[in-house]
Amino acid sequence: MSEDPKQRRWRNPIARWGRNDSPDELPIQEWQDPLQPWRENRAYKVRLFRIGHFRYYWKFRGHGSRLWHRTRWWPTRRRILLLRGGYNPKTLRAEKTISDKRPVYWIMAFALMAIMPFLVPQNLTNTLLSAAAIFAIYAAINLCWMLVIGTAGIYSLATYSVVGAAAYGTAYLSIQFGMPWWSLPFFGTFIGLVFGVLIAIPAVRLDGFYYALLTLGLNELCRVYVLQSRTFGSATGGLYGAETYIPQQWSSEHQLMLGYYASVVVMIMALSLYRLVDGRRLGRILRMAPEKREAFAEACGVNYRRARIQVFLISSTGLGAIGGFYAAHFRGASPSLFGIELVSLGLAMLVIGGMRRAEGVVLGTLIVVLVRDGLVTWGPIRLILIGIIMLAAVLFLRGGLFGIKPQFRAWRDKKKSENRSTRAEKGGEMLPEESTECRDKDQVYFRRFDKMQRDFLKTLVCDEVIEEHRRQPLGQHSEALERLLLYFRRQPQRDKYAIQAIEPFKAYRIVALSGHRGVAPREVEEKTYPSQAAAYHGVFLRRVQDLLET
Amino acid sequence: MDWGIIAVDALQLACIYGTLAVGISITWSSLGLINLAYGFVFAAGGYGAWLAAEHLSEHGIAVMSAGILTGALFGIVVWALAFLPIHDKPNFTMRGMIATVAISLIGNQTLMWYFGPRAKALPEIFGYAQVEYAGIVLTANTAGTVASSIVLLGVVLWWMKSSRRGLEIRAMMMNPHAASLVGIGVRRTGLYVMALTGALAGLASVLLSQVYYVSPFAGTTPLIKGLAIALCGGLGSIAGALIAAVILAVNEAITAATIGGQYVLITQFGLIILIILIRPRGIAGILDRAREA
Repeated sequence: MSEDPKQRRWRNPIARWGRNDSPDELPIQEWQDPLQPWRENRAYKVRLFRIGHFRYYWKFRGHGSRLWHRTRWWPTRRRILLLRGGYNPKTLRAEKTISDKRPVYWIMAFALMAIMPFLVPQNLTNTLLSAAAIFAIYAAINLCWMLVIGTAGIYSLATYSVVGAAAYGTAYLSIQFGMPWWSLPFFGTFIGLVFGVLIAIPAVRLDGFYYALLTLGLNELCRVYVLQSRTFGSATGGLYGAETYIPQQWSSEHQLMLGYYASVVVMIMALSLYRLVDGRRLGRILRMAPEKREAFAEACGVNYRRARIQVFLISSTGLGAIGGFYAAHFRGASPSLFGIELVSLGLAMLVIGGMRRAEGVVLGTLIVVLVRDGLVTWGPIRLILIGIIMLAAVLFLRGGLFGIKPQFRAWRDKKKSENRSTRAEKGGEMLPEESTECRDKDQVYFRRFDKMQRDFLKTLVCDEVIEEHRRQPLGQHSEALERLLLYFRRQPQRDKYAIQAIEPFKAYRIVALSGHRGVAPREVEEKTYPSQAAAYHGVFLRRVQDLLET
Repeated sequence: MDWGIIAVDALQLACIYGTLAVGISITWSSLGLINLAYGFVFAAGGYGAWLAAEHLSEHGIAVMSAGILTGALFGIVVWALAFLPIHDKPNFTMRGMIATVAISLIGNQTLMWYFGPRAKALPEIFGYAQVEYAGIVLTANTAGTVASSIVLLGVVLWWMKSSRRGLEIRAMMMNPHAASLVGIGVRRTGLYVMALTGALAGLASVLLSQVYYVSPFAGTTPLIKGLAIALCGGLGSIAGALIAAVILAVNEAITAATIGGQYVLITQFGLIILIILIRPRGIAGILDRAREA
């Protein structure tokens, strides 16, 4: 044995009792902390993302009956805000949480819209105010469109042509017969209704792309008709000169402001129409019977055809009214309303913000109109920019900008479960699926602990320990050897090694216990050992071997 | 009324529209993609031909092959942007359609930005010769259009019937899922289909530019007419597309000759709506066997 001064040595605690069968001192390995694998295993190794990990809710105080008090829209039972009352499980403080914060954000957005004209810089007032009015009108159109394309799931591309037809019709009435401006939305409503009936008839019979392509064709038909018809101003590039609600004697700034506020009012009306249809019975029926699930809906007793015709008529009526307002706002209409470019831009507005969400439609419209009418000096590049945003939204986002949050959550959960399954190591620990199947949950924890313990014990096996055991299989041992032996002795009876005396003090053999009463142990090797101690050491070596192999 | 002129016009229009509609129809039935960027591919093919005529040679074959190659190239661009990334993602049909709308928006505006809004004229690739037979004047242009589109369509159909790749495309038209199960690469076949249909659009563009001009938005009307014909014939059926092309071309020629050119689209769509209402999946479409996305 080398006498290295740095080598750690173990002192036999019972050496001074004068036993001569055990050594006083032994060289041993560096001490290792048995808790180390436990700490390593318990450490949280998943990469954490800084954003979106927790949902933060501001907790409002609620005291006594205030906790359960709800403000409702009179005379309905609908609540103004969805509040959740409860007690903090740790502090038992009564607290209220707003579980749906969207109304708050909407009100903030409306407030911003109300003060917007006073915030913009003076030199940009003209551009921004007219762009904002266009934004509000387009947002209103898109909201009505969304009733058909989002709620009912029918890809109708003839929306802008309904608006265009109403705008042209009312402008014509106003120019020819001098109708006042306030009557234009009503006439527009009528024209829209007629148009709605016309486009609703094929919608009942056709589906999917056939309908989309047909409506695209109708759009083009209207465009060509308007471009060639002398009544509708083919010579002047549009029909202009309708009555307007904007007093002409006002200064241009005030005119712009009036136009802006009137358009915002139209947008708010369209929002309430969307809410009324989408959030109530009709919307639920339509969402229950989307394309390819009509048979199921019909079997449930839903008359989806009637619902579709209803939504077409409602949306076309709304679009017609907006068309009348359009004619009164812009004092006429232009053939660009029927252009395929406007249809593409409209699709871009829906796709960028996110379909089936009012806030998505409004945000998408805002982005597209800001780029298109705010950066007029850029020429065609701004439309290319819109196209690139739209393409990116289609390729990467499932539900537009407002769908990013749920999409990110779904992606993160997928990654989490992938990581979890790779993290579960083989050899003792149960996989997540296995552990949910296992009835005895103690087994899950026991196997996890056992794995950690074996990992630790493997590090203890070294030449010194084996040499120590060879010299003295029984008696006082160093800590490392004692830990190994305790672990080996604690193993279950089944397949546990034992020694069998073939001839006492002469020949011993290693056997493995069966673990069952009345079943004889089986022989594991041919070799015989001359003494009991040698046989003990043979068993120890086999167990160390088995430990290192797991 | 001169029936001869009507017949010649109808034949010419049927050839051009048939070329477009077959392309749209094949794209839909094999890839499940409604290619609304077809108008852009069409316009790009026209510009490719114009560039070739400006810089390389004014020879008919050079111009035409430049148009066809540019069309194929932009077909591949559409494939790479609108089919490759999302073809196995949920809701592909709708997203693919919107992606092609975006591509067409970007592409048309890029053409507008680069070449300017002014229309360009292609050289008369078929010459100026005229043949008169039984009171019908057959110009070289008409004859060339009819001949070249029939030849190219014939080559394409023959290739699809007899070659290995054509077999793959037809297998994918019948059942894309089963085709991928027996080892036909969906992406690779998609590439062939888009290049092929792009080439058809390029050819149609060169042919139609003999009558009209090459401009950034020249593709819109042919796109809509092609779509309408493909729709009318039944999406996915080549024979149906050809029949519909003939019917609509005859209608267009008769309308133009009797009532007036501005009513063409109106009668066209009236006819299409009538056909579609009678047969909701088009002339050759069968309700049950139509491609389910």
